[in-house]
Amino acid sequence: MDWLTDPLQFGFFVRALLAVVLVSVLCALVGAWVVLRGLSYIGDAMSHAVFPGIVGAFLAGGNLLVGALVAAVLTALGIGAVGRQSGLKQDSAIGIVFVGMFALGVVMLSRAPTFTTDLSNFLIGNPLGVTPADLWGALAVTLVVGTILTAMQKELLLASFDPTEARAIGLPVRRLESLLLILIGLVVVLTVQLVGTTLSVSLLITSSASARLLSRSLRNMIGLAALLGTLGGVTGLYLSYYLNTAPGATIVLVNTALFGLALALRKRD
Amino acid sequence: MLGVDHLTVQYGSHTALEDATVRFEAGQFSAVIGPNGAGKSTLLKTMVGLLPDPGGSVRFDAGHTAQSCVSYVPQQQTLDWGFPVTVWDVAMMGRTGRLGWLRWPSKTDRERVVAALKETGVYELRGRHIGALSGGQRQRVLLARMLARDGHLLLLDEPLTGVDAATQEQLMGLLRAQADRGRAVVMVTHDLEQARRWCDHLVLVNRRIIADGTPDEVYTPRNIEATFSSSHLGHTHAEA
Repeated sequence: MDWLTDPLQFGFFVRALLAVVLVSVLCALVGAWVVLRGLSYIGDAMSHAVFPGIVGAFLAGGNLLVGALVAAVLTALGIGAVGRQSGLKQDSAIGIVFVGMFALGVVMLSRAPTFTTDLSNFLIGNPLGVTPADLWGALAVTLVVGTILTAMQKELLLASFDPTEARAIGLPVRRLESLLLILIGLVVVLTVQLVGTTLSVSLLITSSASARLLSRSLRNMIGLAALLGTLGGVTGLYLSYYLNTAPGATIVLVNTALFGLALALRKRD
Repeated sequence: MLGVDHLTVQYGSHTALEDATVRFEAGQFSAVIGPNGAGKSTLLKTMVGLLPDPGGSVRFDAGHTAQSCVSYVPQQQTLDWGFPVTVWDVAMMGRTGRLGWLRWPSKTDRERVVAALKETGVYELRGRHIGALSGGQRQRVLLARMLARDGHLLLLDEPLTGVDAATQEQLMGLLRAQADRGRAVVMVTHDLEQARRWCDHLVLVNRRIIADGTPDEVYTPRNIEATFSSSHLGHTHAEA
């Protein structure tokens, strides 16, 4: 069993494990709605759209996470507004807003005097660089997001399954959607910072999609997504330790393999 | 119960419904009948308040609003049946509006759902994923959700599509019973024969109200010709 306990003597490895588990649970909570509502594109989009917020906070000497959050909220509201005003489909609205925001960030950055590793770490993320403060932050966000989503679950469920009925009984379908986009933004900002873009998208979409294939209720789906994300995360981290590969990408590959397995299992039914 | 007055609905330059005036009463089983594109669903959606700013007005009798009393059953094929919800979950969705924000289902809510599932004959299937159901079973689940909502006005958009003949008859009997209990039931259909057998109020629609009354009053060759013949479609088009 040495191979299992050996890496645990390193603090960074333990913190990475904890981060991956926390982020898996967090992504499962939000990822269920991302997959069910066809918002898969948003994870990737959000991770780019928060860029101007981060650069702005960096230039102003403020907190990068707060800057990213402000940008995430603006992006969520912007996507909703563009969709409503133009009547375009949501994927177009997401595309328009996110490249615009990203470009704004690039332009702002080109005016910046220096580009420090601080900023690049924040943008790219690495599970092996997680600090205890990051972990507490992730735990807090998980609790907040989990509470909000649980409180709104029956409304979100109806608005997602049957938006017509939801509107008929007077639910604010659009505001629910904006709230969901903001929460997704919040989660993406946090997970990108902790584990990087690719892994955050993988946890948000791949694990939830695998879970969807095998679940018959929402509760099953969220639980299974958290479990699959954790399983993939832990397996991937150990693999990367022994194979000496990039941890984030290794975890993504394990998650992708798990999705293939889920697909195969479902087909046999 | 509910009336629409001089209702005109346009999608861009296309007139879906023109100057429609009709009333639906409690205790009546009404059928709104017409060919595809006649404005049947438009009429229903307007009554639920799904279309903003229609020309004309929708009036509920005192004490009722669309949000307080309407149960709307959409066309089955507009829903995603791969969604991870069970039969029970869907029926419980009928209680969402009554429960309100931040409230969990109480014993009463669960009892209502059990009763609705039993009445529609899908109680035994309550733990099943909805994707595993037949067309008839799916429609029963949607009806269970409608009953769980406990509305006074039931609006159904093509409830018999994708349902086998035997189940169709059972569903019609179930809807008839709802009307007999004092609810107003309004069903959109293109099956004139079936509507004639079960309903006591027929409304023939083809972009405008062609006829409105009891089956005997409405079921005349002239009205049917006016509703379903393509030459008539061309005629109204020229008028519009």
